Formats: sequence, C-alpha cells, structure tokens
Amino acid sequence: MTLTQGLPVSTAARPAVELIGVKKHFTGRSRRAPKRVALDGFDLTVRPGEFLCLLGPSGCGKSTLLNMLAGFTQPDRGQVLTDGEPVTGPGPDRGVLFQTPMLFPWLTTLDNVLYGPRARHELTAETRRRAVELLETVGLADAHDAFPHELSGGMRHRAAFARVLVNRPRLLLMDEPFGALDAITRVAMQRFLLHLWQREQITIVFVTHDVEEAALLGDRVCVMSGSPGRARAVIEVDLPRPRSIEDTETLEFVQLKRRIREALEDDH
Amino acid sequence: MTTDVVVVVEPATSSGQTSTASRRAAGRSRGGSWRRLAFGLLGLILTAAVWQLVSYVKGDPVILPSVQRTASTFWEYLSQPYPAVQGKTLWQHALVSGGRILAGWAAGVVIGVAVGGVMASVSFVRHLLDPLIEITRPLPPLAFIPLFIVWFGIGETPKFLLILIGVVPVMIIATVSALDAVPTELVQAGRSLGASPLWALLTVRLRSALPPIITGMRLAMGGAWTSIVAVELIAATSGLGYVINNAGVNLQTPLVLSGILAISVLGIVFDGLLRLLHRFADPTTR
Ligand SMILES: Nc1ncnc2c1ncn2[C@@H]1O[C@H](COP(=O)(O)OP(=O)(O)OP(=O)(O)O)[C@@H](O)[C@H]1O
Ligand SMILES: [Mg+2]
Repeated sequence: MTLTQGLPVSTAARPAVELIGVKKHFTGRSRRAPKRVALDGFDLTVRPGEFLCLLGPSGCGKSTLLNMLAGFTQPDRGQVLTDGEPVTGPGPDRGVLFQTPMLFPWLTTLDNVLYGPRARHELTAETRRRAVELLETVGLADAHDAFPHELSGGMRHRAAFARVLVNRPRLLLMDEPFGALDAITRVAMQRFLLHLWQREQITIVFVTHDVEEAALLGDRVCVMSGSPGRARAVIEVDLPRPRSIEDTETLEFVQLKRRIREALEDDH
Repeated sequence: MTTDVVVVVEPATSSGQTSTASRRAAGRSRGGSWRRLAFGLLGLILTAAVWQLVSYVKGDPVILPSVQRTASTFWEYLSQPYPAVQGKTLWQHALVSGGRILAGWAAGVVIGVAVGGVMASVSFVRHLLDPLIEITRPLPPLAFIPLFIVWFGIGETPKFLLILIGVVPVMIIATVSALDAVPTELVQAGRSLGASPLWALLTVRLRSALPPIITGMRLAMGGAWTSIVAVELIAATSGLGYVINNAGVNLQTPLVLSGILAISVLGIVFDGLLRLLHRFADPTTR
C-alpha cells in the first residue's frame, strides 16, 4: 500500500486541488442533539490533470467534501484551495456533475448547454458553435431541440456533461455520477469519461461507492474512513492507460481491487 | 470477475423529470381523447335530459324552467338590458364581473407570490406568518362582508378586497410549497455554471416553481369565481352576481340560471387560458 507519495509531481506545477486540515461539522435539528462531525483533519492533494477517485463508506463525508470544492459550503476549519486559490463560492471553472443529471426540465438540450454562457452574459456565435460541437461529441447531435424528459437516462448524463464542458472547466467534480445508471449504460459512460479526460486533460475528482469503478478510472484512489471522515490511504493505480473494461479481468487489476478493499475494511 | 451491479431505481429528480411516465400512462392518445370528449358530451346531454324531465314533471317555471326556456332567456338578455331601466346586457354584466375578478385575482397573485417568495427564503418571516395564514385560510370571504362594509363603504373597494383575501392565502401556500419543492442541487447546478445568486434565483428557483404556481393561480381563480355572487351582494347594480341575486328576489328563475350559466362559461374560459399558460411553462405536459 502506497501512502500519499506517488509519482514525482511535475516540477513547478501548482496542485489542482489542495485540502489542508479540513474540518466540517453539522448541527442537529434540535439544539441538544450532538454535533455531527462529517470531516475532521482531512488532507489531500490532487495534481493537475490527475484523475482522483474518492472511495469510502456511506456517510463518510464524500459529498460534503465535494460540496466544499464546488463552493456550495465552507469548511469550519482548514483550507480548501483550487489552483492555489481559496474557494469562496461556486464558479464555472469547477464543473459539477451530480448523481442525477439535474438538467433544467424547461429548457431544450441546446439551451441547457447554453445556460452557463447566457448566465454569464458571454453568449457569442463562437460559444454557440462550441455547444453544438460538444453535443456532437457526446452523441446528442440529433437531440438539440429535445427536452430532458424526452431523453434516456444515459443521454441526460451526456447532456449534463456537455453543459459543464462548454464552460471549459479546469476541474470536474463528480459525485457518484453513474450510480443511478444500469450496468450497460454505466460501462459506456465510463468509457466516454476516460476518452474525454484523455482528450481534454482536465483534473477530475470522482466520488464512487464502487471499488471496481475506482480502480478502473483513477490514477489514484483515496480511501476514506467513516465518521469523522479522514483520508485513510491513497492508493496508486499503476495500470497502463488507456484502460478499458477488459482490463478488469487481469490479475493485476484483481490484486489492486483486493488492496483497495482491504484498505476500505481495515479498522484503523 | 463480474461488474458490481448496483441496482438503483431511477431516483426522484426535479419535479419535471419524474412524473412523465405516469402522465403518459394516463392516456393522452388520440383515441383516448375522442372517447373522453364523447363521454363528456354524453354526461352533459344526460344532465340536460334529467333537467328537462324534472321541469316537465314539476310544470312550474319558477321552480325549474325548461331547458329551451332558459336557453332563450340567456339568448334574449345577451342583447337586452337587465334591469330594463338603466340596466346592462348579460355581456356587460359579465364584463363587470370579469373585471372585478381579474383585478382582485391579479393583485392577489402578485401579493401572494411576493409574500410566499419571502416566506420560502427567510425562515423567521415564515414562522411569523404561518399561523396567521392557518387562522385566516378557513374563513369564507362572506364572513368579512359586514366588516368591510363598515370599514370601506359599499363601493368597489370592499368587492376588490373580498376577492383579494380569497386569493392571497391560496397563492402564498402554492408559492411556498412550489419553492420548497425545488431541489437545492438544481439551484447549485445553476450557480456552478456561473449564474450569480440573483440570476439563479430568477432563472432556476422561480422558473422551476412556475408550473405549480400556475396551478395555484388556477385554484385561486376558481375560488374567486365561487365568491363572486357573495361579493356582488354588496349594493351592486351590475355584475353577474347582481343579476342572480336580483332575478332570484324577483322569482325570474330562467334568468338566475342564465347568470349561473354565464359564470360557468367564463370560469371555463379563464381556466382554459391558465391551463394553456401551464402547458407553455411545463414542457413535460405538452
Ligand atoms: N445538510 C446536512 N445537515 C446535517 N448533516 C449532514 C448534512 N449533510 C451531510 N450531513 C452529515 O454529514 C455526514 C457526511 O455526509 P455526506 O453526504 O458527505 O456523506 P457521503 O460520504 O457523501 O455519503 P454517501 O456515500 O451515502 O453519499 C453524514 O453523517 C451526514 O449525516
Ligand atoms: Mg454522497
């Protein structure tokens, strides 16, 4: 088991994500209810262009962590930095993909993709062209004018991808994005995501429950321990790229999965 | 080694994306809509037939005039003023009632949406107003008539206010529950795409709540029409409610029924317009 060291960081590059001693608690509904510590002293560094998977039991604070990176919530203590800058609020430089696609049901696919540029008053012919191009990339060339309820589950996820990518984010935050998909669509989406990541060279922080998914996608897998959440181990995935679903049958992959599972089940 | 298949039922997403399947199952096919129309017509014809039968058996036009007598009275008063001296035609009465309702309803919608919006966003305002609304909601507008006459006299003001106080609580409740039902993640999605807090509030939170708010507007409109007769009891000299009241006092039953008919036609027209608006606002129902 390799702990946090990993490959030598490419010289002067600032880390894409830095979490230093992050603590976050939630107060209960009543004043007497005990405070629930979601995260305590969480440290993590993500290299630029890295694909990092966050793995941990339910309720260990993965979504809380991602929400802080997205700027939806602030930590009680510690620092949350992206590209060396503290996160102060949500922004288009960090694309967020939720477990459900969260498309706007009253907008067509194309208008969903153009929501970001419109909201920032940056809608130009160039962005429009880029949006159309992106919809082609995600395989929705014929669905410009379809409303989200007219798309299949997988198509909605791909539309959500296009909606985020049109903003050219440097960081993608994904919270169990494929958790609600069937096994076949999920494999297709994983392949699509890997392809995209290799092409666009963005940093990805990917939350999942699934050991196999984490091992297949990630450069590193950060295994978290439950309440309060901490980074228990960071496991380097040294499988060659590009990877595909067939690689999951190899011995190295099975051994890697066992290592991750052991880290997950390891009590302290 | 097989993939760890996670069986997850497609979770409830935003309001629009969930219920499409059930709506489709409700049968919007062409054959279905023709059948619905035919049965609807049949129901109307049966009602008219029963009406005709009862009026024939009773043989007293004051208790229940025949269908054709009512229809001819309705037709007649479309061009003939009521009351005969200084009166108005049914059209004009309808216009007066429609104007009163639109004024009270529109003001009530604006106030209700504004108050509901604030209640949904500021929790202490919600705690402040919640009991107030709960207390006033079950009160019929009728109960306020004597008070309003004392306070505001017998002009248009008490009529406007009576319709208003029927509309406001309905709109507040509709707005608050519509805004509460907007998933936070939908707003967060908008914010992380670069929308400012205000822009996200307008184009995501409010926009997402629009269809249920329009449903609230439909309910409030229905409520306003049901209270119009009581409202126009207040020393009115025009309006469909006035026609019904006055014709009733004078035992002109065909005219009473004509007024009722006019109210129901207007009610259907207004509701139809709002349904159109709803369809426009919610693409999943198209
Ligand atoms: N808004 C909130 N109010 C109160 N407690 C919260 C809130 N959000 C999260 N928590 C608590 O913080 C802890 C971490 O929650 P979080 O959603 O981050 O878990 P998670 O790792 O994403 O779990 P899952 O894998 O099931 O999604 C949990 O114990 C949860 O009860
Ligand atoms: Mg979660």
